[in-house]
Amino acid sequence: MKIWDLIRIANRNLLRSKLRTFLTVMAIFVGSFTLTLTNGIGDGLRDYVETQVKNIEGDSALFVRKKFPREDEQNARIGEPEEYKEIKEDEQGNRIDPNSIVVSLDQINSLAKEFPEVKKATPAYRMRAEYIALADSDKKFKVSLGMLSEGLKQKLEAGKMFDGKNQIILPLYLAEGFDEKVENLVGKTAKIGYKTEESDEIQIKELKIAGVATKGMISNLNAFVDAETAKGLYTAQRGESRDYNRFTNFTFLLNSSDEKTMEKVKNKLEEKGFTAMSYADIEKRTYDGIGILQTGLNLFALIALLAASFGIINTLIIAVMERTKDIGLQKALGMGRGKIFMLFSMESILIGFWGALLGIVIGIACGLVANAYLASTYLESFEGYNLFVFTPLSIIFIMLLVCTVAFLAGVMPAFRASRLNPIEALRYE
Amino acid sequence: MLEAINLSRTFTSDKVDYEVLKAVNLEIKQGECVAIMGKSGSGKSTLMHLLACLDEPTSGSVVFEGSDFTTLSEGQKNRLRNEKFGFVFQQFFLNGRETVFENVALPMRIRGASGKRLNENSMESLQAVGLDDKAKKSAKDLSGGEKQRVCIARALVGKPQVIFADEPTGNLDSKTGETVENLLLQMNKDLGITLIIVTHDEDLANKCERIIEIKDGRIISGN
Repeated sequence: MKIWDLIRIANRNLLRSKLRTFLTVMAIFVGSFTLTLTNGIGDGLRDYVETQVKNIEGDSALFVRKKFPREDEQNARIGEPEEYKEIKEDEQGNRIDPNSIVVSLDQINSLAKEFPEVKKATPAYRMRAEYIALADSDKKFKVSLGMLSEGLKQKLEAGKMFDGKNQIILPLYLAEGFDEKVENLVGKTAKIGYKTEESDEIQIKELKIAGVATKGMISNLNAFVDAETAKGLYTAQRGESRDYNRFTNFTFLLNSSDEKTMEKVKNKLEEKGFTAMSYADIEKRTYDGIGILQTGLNLFALIALLAASFGIINTLIIAVMERTKDIGLQKALGMGRGKIFMLFSMESILIGFWGALLGIVIGIACGLVANAYLASTYLESFEGYNLFVFTPLSIIFIMLLVCTVAFLAGVMPAFRASRLNPIEALRYE
Repeated sequence: MLEAINLSRTFTSDKVDYEVLKAVNLEIKQGECVAIMGKSGSGKSTLMHLLACLDEPTSGSVVFEGSDFTTLSEGQKNRLRNEKFGFVFQQFFLNGRETVFENVALPMRIRGASGKRLNENSMESLQAVGLDDKAKKSAKDLSGGEKQRVCIARALVGKPQVIFADEPTGNLDSKTGETVENLLLQMNKDLGITLIIVTHDEDLANKCERIIEIKDGRIISGN
């Protein structure tokens, strides 16, 4: 029997009892509808994070911090007393406090010297600004300053990355506050107002606007300056403070973005009691988290599918009983076991196919309607975030998954049908 | 051409053995028209099932054109029944939801024949039973006699060497029964198809060249 004949006959057999088929398809529909939406939520998050995280790039930068005192202890229990460790001095004479993750600039520099792969070590300078204003305007906005160390690149709406000191990249919302046409701002001078530790008097730092950042998770919040400028501001603000030049994290820029080199440096840092992550690691960690969430959501849909697959089993068992004589005749006329099996499997796959198709189409329709509604209400402030995103790959995956589940549900009844004895089947009442 | 050698068949139910066929020997020649006669429970249907390769003997063997059924694989047996044998059953076993044409074409579909072959053979055998004008009709709308003629067309469609007819007139009144009988006998004469009819109807048996009478699992005459 030809495959096309099998499909045609299977389809016709399903139409014999339309209501029964319809109800079974509906059960599968509920499962695949849910799966389409739960999977769409995961893809939506991934899609959003992708546009947000990928805003900043830096293949050869590692973000390093000292490990927390008990980070390596597996299953460190809350409520157990923690041992106090004495402050020691290392070979370079740096005082090392094992109870804290704070490191001094000297420690960072001497650590960097141990790695020939490290081109530049930059501590995470923290700055606090009171406001930002344009040199030629009175408009003042609150601003938070961030630092992009060497080797990191921010995606831009206008202008270019800084190519020297005393330049700034504005977040899009801020730039739009100054001028709707953000490209007009590039090259203009901005004034940062800041206070120092000792006085309440506001100091002014003039910076050239190098560019305007594309929207993103971090670039939605911060205006960025380069490390040199950051260091200058940091020193001006914190120069007199007790924890001047003491940092909780820092960046290592390597002279290669080669994965092996990155891995080697990471491992060596690990041995020395530090933990390092590249941008790729951060992304991966985020994606892993989304993946877990997505799998969790999909599990609910899979339970619905599982329930529906019992419906398929039931439907097919009844069909085998109803059509026992047909099967007997087909076998008498020379149809092999394999073909009988395929015929019934085809019926269960078709039930799965129609259920999946219906579920996917209606799921996508509902998702798109919900997206449109949410975009103008609850998610208005998350521009570019769609709760549901449907990718062709996911749709194909759902289709295949549902058809596979349906096929598996049909195995037992189809096997029964294929094993019928033709003489007994023809005598069946 | 078709030979039964020491053919026995025992059915077991509730741990009791019933020997339905007892060491039957039989030879049927190409083009013969044979009636297997006997009362119900005599073993005639079992003999036919064994000869038609639908059942397996407890001992002994059936040889068709030199090949012993016991040596054939499942697939070879299926192909044999599909290509060399045709079947006509008392209860018709037509699919009422399908058209007459589809019912007749079923063996060709199972064979995986090309569309052209399938069409030609099906229409040809419908013509042979005089029902080519009802090809598009639904099988359930036919009368009993017409249904059995469709079954004959279905048995003919694969151009078989042997047609097995199990009580072909059992469900028909005497007049339509006669039409069906004549049709079967005509196929035997005109096309040279070996005809094996299982019946308890003496009138029908008497129209065949040879009557094999079977009683309590043994052939008592006609061998």
